[in-house]
Amino acid sequence: MAANIFNSSTLPVLEQVVNFAQARHGVLAGNIANLDTPGYKTRDLSPELFQENLKQAIEESRRPASPGQSAASGATGAASTTNYDAFAKVEDSLKGILRHDGVDVSLEHQIAEISKNHAQHNLAVNLMNSQFRQLRAAISERQV
Amino acid sequence: MFNAFDVSTSGLVAQRTRLNAISSNLANMSTTRNEFGEAEAYRPRYVTFQTDTSLTTSGGGAGVRVASVDLSDEPPNMKYQPGHPDAGPNGYVAYPNVDMTTEFVDALEATRAYEANIGVIEITKDLGAQTLRIIA
Repeated sequence: MAANIFNSSTLPVLEQVVNFAQARHGVLAGNIANLDTPGYKTRDLSPELFQENLKQAIEESRRPASPGQSAASGATGAASTTNYDAFAKVEDSLKGILRHDGVDVSLEHQIAEISKNHAQHNLAVNLMNSQFRQLRAAISERQV
Repeated sequence: MFNAFDVSTSGLVAQRTRLNAISSNLANMSTTRNEFGEAEAYRPRYVTFQTDTSLTTSGGGAGVRVASVDLSDEPPNMKYQPGHPDAGPNGYVAYPNVDMTTEFVDALEATRAYEANIGVIEITKDLGAQTLRIIA
């Protein structure tokens, strides 16, 4: 019953977004730390791949819920497990210029990416907070 | 999550080591004797970095560490000063091959890289604080 409350909203999706943003932040922090390491190649997690996987997971979790309401409980866990695949892929990006010491880290590009990632993380956390506020308002039977 | 702090800190440590080597090169740019008082020009130090896989984050980010501090192989600058106490038999004195422009550009680059890592630490702190706000 309690699991239904949390899984019927967007909370599992937001949880995955926060998880992904934190994992990607670590990778981008590593790129900036290795700014002057000879031979280091930029690493990144693909937000596009993650969003694609997340989209699929959301669609899968919704599909069995439509024909019968009893099937809904079985699909609730789907969104929280399937889209971890995106984390496994650390890909080398070729957006930067390869310097003579073999480094292709572009500081401007990395800072822009880390800032975007930061904003995305905070957006997801704020949305999560507002959902919990609504739940609390419902539990305590008062107006928001 | 907290590994991101360690990764950025490794960047700070590495860049400061590099800056220390640059300071040493600039301080010794006219040194004509070694630590034993013998006539030998100071050789500039250069710091080499290496990716440190013992520091990793959940997504696959890696830290950095100082691989080695090497002495420059370039020959010293020879200056004709027959009256100098460190002059060789031909009257030339060996001066360190420190190029001030190169050292200053390197110092500026190390400083900017240090600042970039500080910026990342600030963002990491904010990510942590925002995440903790979920349970607040």
